[in-house]
Amino acid sequence: MLEIKFSGRGGQGVVVASQILGLAFFKAGKYPQCYSLFGGERRGAPLVSFLRVDQKKILLKCEIRQPKELVCFDDSLVDPREVKDKLVPDGRILINTRRPPEAFRELREFNLGFIDAAAVSQAVGLKQIINTVMLGAYCRLTGHLKLDHLLEAVAEFAPAKKEANIEAARRAFESVES
Amino acid sequence: MKRFITGNHAVAEAARLCRPQIVAAYPITPQTPIYEKLSDWDAAGELGGTMMRVESEHSAMAVCLSASLAGARTFTATASQGLALMHEMLHFAAGCRTAVVMAVVNRTLAAPWAFWSDQTDSLSQRDTGWLQIYCENNQESLDTTIQAFRIAEEIKLPIMVVLEGNFISHFMEPVEIPEQHMVDGFLPAVCLPRRFDVDNPGYAIPTVTQQQFRKYRKLSQEAMEHSLEVIEQVDTEFAAHFGRSYGLVEAVDCEDAELVILTTATITSTARVALAELRAEGLKVGLFKLRIFRPFPTAAIRAVLDKAPRIAVIERNISLGREGIFCSEVKAALINSSGHPRIQGYLAGIGGSDVNPKLIKRIAHHALETDMVQDGPLWMAEDE
Repeated sequence: MLEIKFSGRGGQGVVVASQILGLAFFKAGKYPQCYSLFGGERRGAPLVSFLRVDQKKILLKCEIRQPKELVCFDDSLVDPREVKDKLVPDGRILINTRRPPEAFRELREFNLGFIDAAAVSQAVGLKQIINTVMLGAYCRLTGHLKLDHLLEAVAEFAPAKKEANIEAARRAFESVES
Repeated sequence: MKRFITGNHAVAEAARLCRPQIVAAYPITPQTPIYEKLSDWDAAGELGGTMMRVESEHSAMAVCLSASLAGARTFTATASQGLALMHEMLHFAAGCRTAVVMAVVNRTLAAPWAFWSDQTDSLSQRDTGWLQIYCENNQESLDTTIQAFRIAEEIKLPIMVVLEGNFISHFMEPVEIPEQHMVDGFLPAVCLPRRFDVDNPGYAIPTVTQQQFRKYRKLSQEAMEHSLEVIEQVDTEFAAHFGRSYGLVEAVDCEDAELVILTTATITSTARVALAELRAEGLKVGLFKLRIFRPFPTAAIRAVLDKAPRIAVIERNISLGREGIFCSEVKAALINSSGHPRIQGYLAGIGGSDVNPKLIKRIAHHALETDMVQDGPLWMAEDE
């Protein structure tokens, strides 16, 4: 079973991203289970969302404590000590950042991927909405999903600007080095 | 068709498929997405029935019970404080023998404020005369909602379909949504007595003597007892139509078990994973799922647990000053058992705190190894 944690800030589309990725896995024939820790969240406040994926029905109705993968929408939320404590030792991390890879050398034991998500989202007219960019990059880096399954999920789920969101995911997929 | 949706969405789909003529509800976290989904369909002209946006849950239940007395199929949904505010009307809905179906999304009762799953809200309505069915996952919540209309309209008592906040209401999972013609084939058009007749006006709720009141209550109790048969029969028919069934209770690996873990709702689902791991350790452990709480399925429980050596009840609720409510009920059901099972209550998951396989296994080990049974509950959590 694959367990993925998404972290970011209210307003970045973190929860929707986890749901779209769940839908993409569902379209690929997998059994996804997605949840968020909702409550008093508001724009700008840190929040997390989670996704489990398996070949068979998932019975667990409890929280994900040690994910295998971390998708981080905001590099200011990356605390190396916390990541080492919580992530599976050979885990994978995708970080949205403009900083050079050396800035994250404390995390070099993990499988790291970087993207300047705002550069892609602005190029397709989405301004600060980066969640579909992050998903395109995720698909390329992990190889878990075909791009087509992701794009179908984006088309079905995106609440607005469907074409721009599809283009954002596609460009991110094509621009990231795996 | 299989879709990737939340438990709230699944319940809303089920309600719409049952063609309710009246939906009256008021939004409250974590039930709100049910209300929103039904509202969206209403606005788009896709709900079929009439949706009434009332000013409180008390009014929502007043509308539903009145509509049911007029012969209409009715649905509502609430949670937590909203259910507490309905309390007075819940007695009326049951006492008048209506067939209201209500989804209750378990959430903590204030104070203090919180948003997470805790069964004390629905269990506080134990004595209102409503049937209560506790669901384990999104699919069971959808299926039980469809079953509930059949059961309620046959026995003429209202039903709560209980699903947990967060773990069901907001968890997205693949859910099979039946086709409309399949549901129509299972659930016939509503056929309830029409108790408002403008040509022959009278009281729907008369004032009665002591003796009459006693007889009304006795009839309701008989209907409750009879409903166990109806629930089983509807479940069997549901299996024939849709290929899924749930029973009053479910026993897994209980035949040779030295310890039976007794659970409800989502803790059952997680416990299935823990059970497989405990069995792999070579421990003789079983799992018993309690699905129907009112009426209480005493005979179905005794048939499996009369001779169980040890029972550990793990639950997400508390009657303060006593213990977990399911534990008290199970103890009472087994008081005359020849095998005298030793029953220990464990409080886990209160306030929506996490109950994972590791915690369930810890409880199982504790229950197997300890020689003492405490009359009160034991608090178990990851940090306790």
